[in-house]
Amino acid sequence: MTQSPARLTLARTRSVCPVCLEQIEAERFLRGDTVYLGKTCPTHGRFEVPVWRGAAAYLAWGRQQAPRSAPTGRLTAVDKGCPHDCGLCPDHRQQSCCVLIEVTSRCDIACPVCFASAGRQGTDADFATIEGWLDTLNTAGGRVHIQLSGGEPTVRDDLADIIRLTRSKGFDFVQLNSNGIRLARDPAYVAALAAAGLDCVFLQFDGVTDAVYQRTRGARLMALKEKAIDACAAVGIGVVLVPTLVPGVNTQEIGAIVDFAVARLPAVRAVHFQPVSYFGRCLKAPEDADRVTLPEVMSALARHCPGVSLADFRPGSAENAYCSFSGRFSVDRDNRFHALGGPVSCCGVAPEPDAVRPSPAVDRERRSVAGQWKRPASPCGDGLDAFDAFLASRERTLGLSGMAFQDAWTLDIDRLRQCHIHIMAPDNRVIPFCAYNLTSMDGKALYRR
Amino acid sequence: MSNTIPEGAGNPADLLCFACDVPLEMGKVEATYLGQKFPVDLPRCPKCGFVYVSEDLALGKMLRVEQALEDK
Repeated sequence: MTQSPARLTLARTRSVCPVCLEQIEAERFLRGDTVYLGKTCPTHGRFEVPVWRGAAAYLAWGRQQAPRSAPTGRLTAVDKGCPHDCGLCPDHRQQSCCVLIEVTSRCDIACPVCFASAGRQGTDADFATIEGWLDTLNTAGGRVHIQLSGGEPTVRDDLADIIRLTRSKGFDFVQLNSNGIRLARDPAYVAALAAAGLDCVFLQFDGVTDAVYQRTRGARLMALKEKAIDACAAVGIGVVLVPTLVPGVNTQEIGAIVDFAVARLPAVRAVHFQPVSYFGRCLKAPEDADRVTLPEVMSALARHCPGVSLADFRPGSAENAYCSFSGRFSVDRDNRFHALGGPVSCCGVAPEPDAVRPSPAVDRERRSVAGQWKRPASPCGDGLDAFDAFLASRERTLGLSGMAFQDAWTLDIDRLRQCHIHIMAPDNRVIPFCAYNLTSMDGKALYRR
Repeated sequence: MSNTIPEGAGNPADLLCFACDVPLEMGKVEATYLGQKFPVDLPRCPKCGFVYVSEDLALGKMLRVEQALEDK
């Protein structure tokens, strides 16, 4: 790395040493047009890593910080300090929004890139354990979104039963993380998931060519991805494409992925880009060139998509501003994008499922018409056409978003403490996603077992 | 009010306002949700202005509109 004396300290924070995971002081500083996280471990030396390429956007972006809220429910005590006391601890600054439940550690492919270090050998969480997790979340008082994850959840034949269980516990939005292989090969299975109340599939989708999948997943998967989307569309399950972006591997396909999504509207609701993080199986110390940052993704989208500008993107509404971006767009018949106003999902995605799904009592209660729809004093208009026109326009709505997970090099405690995407640990602790997956340079995990 | 109204009643005049005991009439209403306005025709009480939303509409088209606006 070349060093330049011209640098500007932006803020002090804390991080961990990538070697020993001890909490150490850190700073965010600007050098050239790039924001770095820098830190020095007294034992293992200096580490500097780019976290945001684009100084002007960095400063503007930070003015849109989300409000903070203390977590509810079960807490762990503050002892060693963040990120060593997660559970959540009283120092955490955000409640859970989306909670991942890992229903299996088995997977039907062995990806070179895997945050969960899943493999073909593994175990399934038993039903009672899953029920205990859901009860714990309910006790904590959160009406959170549940994301069924793994491993590859679809290796389980009883996944529909798990979805039904989740819905029966009052969780009204259930997502599935999947590589899509079984979804592509087993339409009856997909139909059963839909009937059980699955809202949305987060489909691992790294590119539009087999060459990309061979590098990221070790298999030719493109045809299967298309079949998986078809299967979901047939039963009304919304699909969010989730590319893991690796510089030099698939960043050149960002535009092609969006084009693919537009061609598959309304089955595909959104594209959620995830710049690669170096944990799990990614053990080599990354170079600066191995990193892609959120503003680079936003710039690539603005360059590629007609009508999209950087001003159309916003930080997530609940997490730290530098963790995510999202924008919602109406795409006209000439494939020109028009930014839509209104709220942006706190999960950074806009799945918008039209899924035909059960209407549990909690759904009915929460959505009671009298409480949610207001009636102004001066009515006007014509029949129910306004609803129809609105729904028709949404058929051509696409969400474009991204989320930057943190690894041992990029971990910024300020960001971690505002994390609202959590994982249910086997021992019923609720742990922020980036802390749960954090591994040291030699692969030692802080939480994952 | 909804307890007194037969489900699926096709004619607004078949519906009585529980509070005013008068038949509902089709009227223009502007429903709003999360800042979006929808001018629609719905049965309403000519006396107190109470609007009736059928279960089918509430759990069908209106629910889909809500979900779309909520990004769900």
